Amino acid sequence: MLTYSNRRRTRKNERGPFLLVLACGALFLASVASAQIYLPSQPTPLPSNYGKVILDKYSSTEPGGVVFDHWLHRSKFTCRLCHVDIGFAMRANATGIRAETNRLGFHCGACHDGKRSFEGQTIFASCSSAENNSQCARCHSLGKTNVRKYEYKAFTARLPKALYGVDWETAETKKFINPVDFMEGISVKKAPMQTRQDFAITTNLYWVHPVRFSHEKHTVWNGCELCHPEIFHTVAKNQEQHSMVANIVGHNCGACHGQVAFPLNKCSGCHPSGPTWM
Amino acid sequence: MNRKLLFVLALVLIFCSHSLSQTGTKQRRPLPYEFGRVVLNNYSEKADLSPVVFEHWIHRSKFTCRVCHVDIGFAMKAGQTGIKAADNERGYYCGACHNGKMIADGKPVFAACSNRRLSYGDQKQCDRCHSLGKKVASDFDFFAFSEPLPKERFGNGIDWEKSEAIGLIKPAAFLDGFSIPKHFLAAQKDFELNSKVEGMPDIIFSHKKHTVWNGCELCHPEIFMGVRKGNSRYTMVDISEGKSCGVCHVTVAFPLTDCQRCHTKSVQP
Amino acid sequence: MLKRGIALMLFMGLVAVIGGVYAIGEPASSETQTAPAQEAWQAEFDDICSRSQNAMTFSQQELADLIQRCDVLMPKIEKLDETRKKVYMGRLRMCRGLYAYVLESKENQKK
Repeated sequence: MLTYSNRRRTRKNERGPFLLVLACGALFLASVASAQIYLPSQPTPLPSNYGKVILDKYSSTEPGGVVFDHWLHRSKFTCRLCHVDIGFAMRANATGIRAETNRLGFHCGACHDGKRSFEGQTIFASCSSAENNSQCARCHSLGKTNVRKYEYKAFTARLPKALYGVDWETAETKKFINPVDFMEGISVKKAPMQTRQDFAITTNLYWVHPVRFSHEKHTVWNGCELCHPEIFHTVAKNQEQHSMVANIVGHNCGACHGQVAFPLNKCSGCHPSGPTWM
Repeated sequence: MNRKLLFVLALVLIFCSHSLSQTGTKQRRPLPYEFGRVVLNNYSEKADLSPVVFEHWIHRSKFTCRVCHVDIGFAMKAGQTGIKAADNERGYYCGACHNGKMIADGKPVFAACSNRRLSYGDQKQCDRCHSLGKKVASDFDFFAFSEPLPKERFGNGIDWEKSEAIGLIKPAAFLDGFSIPKHFLAAQKDFELNSKVEGMPDIIFSHKKHTVWNGCELCHPEIFMGVRKGNSRYTMVDISEGKSCGVCHVTVAFPLTDCQRCHTKSVQP
Repeated sequence: MLKRGIALMLFMGLVAVIGGVYAIGEPASSETQTAPAQEAWQAEFDDICSRSQNAMTFSQQELADLIQRCDVLMPKIEKLDETRKKVYMGRLRMCRGLYAYVLESKENQKK
């Protein structure tokens, strides 16, 4: 027979697990929301916006935030050149680029100095101290229209596409692009370390195939120093545990994959598809 | 109820710890003139002065590591020495050279932390070191300094070893009043360190060069405690956290991104 | 009235003297008087720590002696003024640490 106290107790018992599930769900959503990749349930960004970085640490009021589009630069240069030789961080606003350092020939100013020529053209100077301000909007274009020279659709017309944007791997294998890895005055020539062999990364989930990690391709684009030791502390295989949660919030593989390289919702990019029990 | 709360809190930590952790992301690379910069602020702000900005690049071109870190006695981590203005005034620590009397490059080296009461003119003198956040003119320009020196990929962008080998810099190994006239240094042999990772070249550790610059006491036993070769394991994780090799080779000597500088022995097929 | 005036003058004079001393700095007379005693510990320190470069060539007994001498010197350095105590304790620690380290390595080698 349900007395008043029994009824209370029952309700309390029912509430507990429900609240726990609610709390777990909220936490999961919170950690996903803090991620910068796009899961299937969310609307995918426009291909022209994939890899876009807004830099407004110092320029938000005047002359306006900088919009950096990865698609333009990665068609011309390897990741290593910018992120190792020039030294950009891999998070927006973490580098602390200032007009002064650009003028001194660092960061953007390493190439954008008004003197260096590339592909037959002189690269425009960033943060020029000249009075003429019309050039500023070429980079400080947040919120402005019709100020940029290159437009995504026209620029990437010939390049092979994937769902999220340009398929850069295929573009390079089919010789549509030939990224440059060395810039005079910035890069120092060194004997290359032997390229690393591909290897498998085991997963903890029995229904998920181990990752076929393409180490060799990664070293061609990134060198060793981009990933080691800051992103991946150790080179010994399978010594560190890298969870998908860490990837989602932008650590380890997620430092690139989800922000600039193909996003994590392309599971087959890393994990071979098909059932694991066959 | 308490147990449930603890469980929920544990879940919070598990889910959020990844976003809170600072590893696994690529930090900005310090600019060549910033590499080796140490900010000292044990007492500066309490004394209404900006924190001190110490640049390694100018000092390491003039002295070996041992002169400062053994003979004068600076610690190897910011804030550990506990330098006070009084110490400098009495001619120790920074005041060992920055005393207004020592001659370098034909000029007397400016005095640090003069013990007179500060007037407006003195404030400018203080700013030469207490310069964090201020634009202070220096006698030495990094670009003019580094231009003739052989280049390297990381750190200051300067190949310090080569610069010394070809005589472009001549770091002094002796400082009057601090360095003890020492007996001839018994040369230490270079030795091999097994990288223990398949395919990763082994390291030929340049013990000889290290002892020329550092002496013995700088590293032993405080940085390298294990005595028998091969007994201690130095993992790259430890090193990147600033232990063993990482005491120098993260912030001052060539950084860990320059794999080939250490991993030099070719892999046996 | 007169007494008050004199008292006030004397007081202001005292303040001026104290302020003047504070501005110029206290006279450093103590150091010169104890110079010979200082040199003794300094000479001992120089003698012990000048041999660190050759630590590997010493016998175990020599190293043990050097460590003993460091331990004897330590209380003398503890009595110095704050600055020199800080500097020389650090240097002695490194120097003694090195000898202990080399001694341990020789003992391990024998085993």
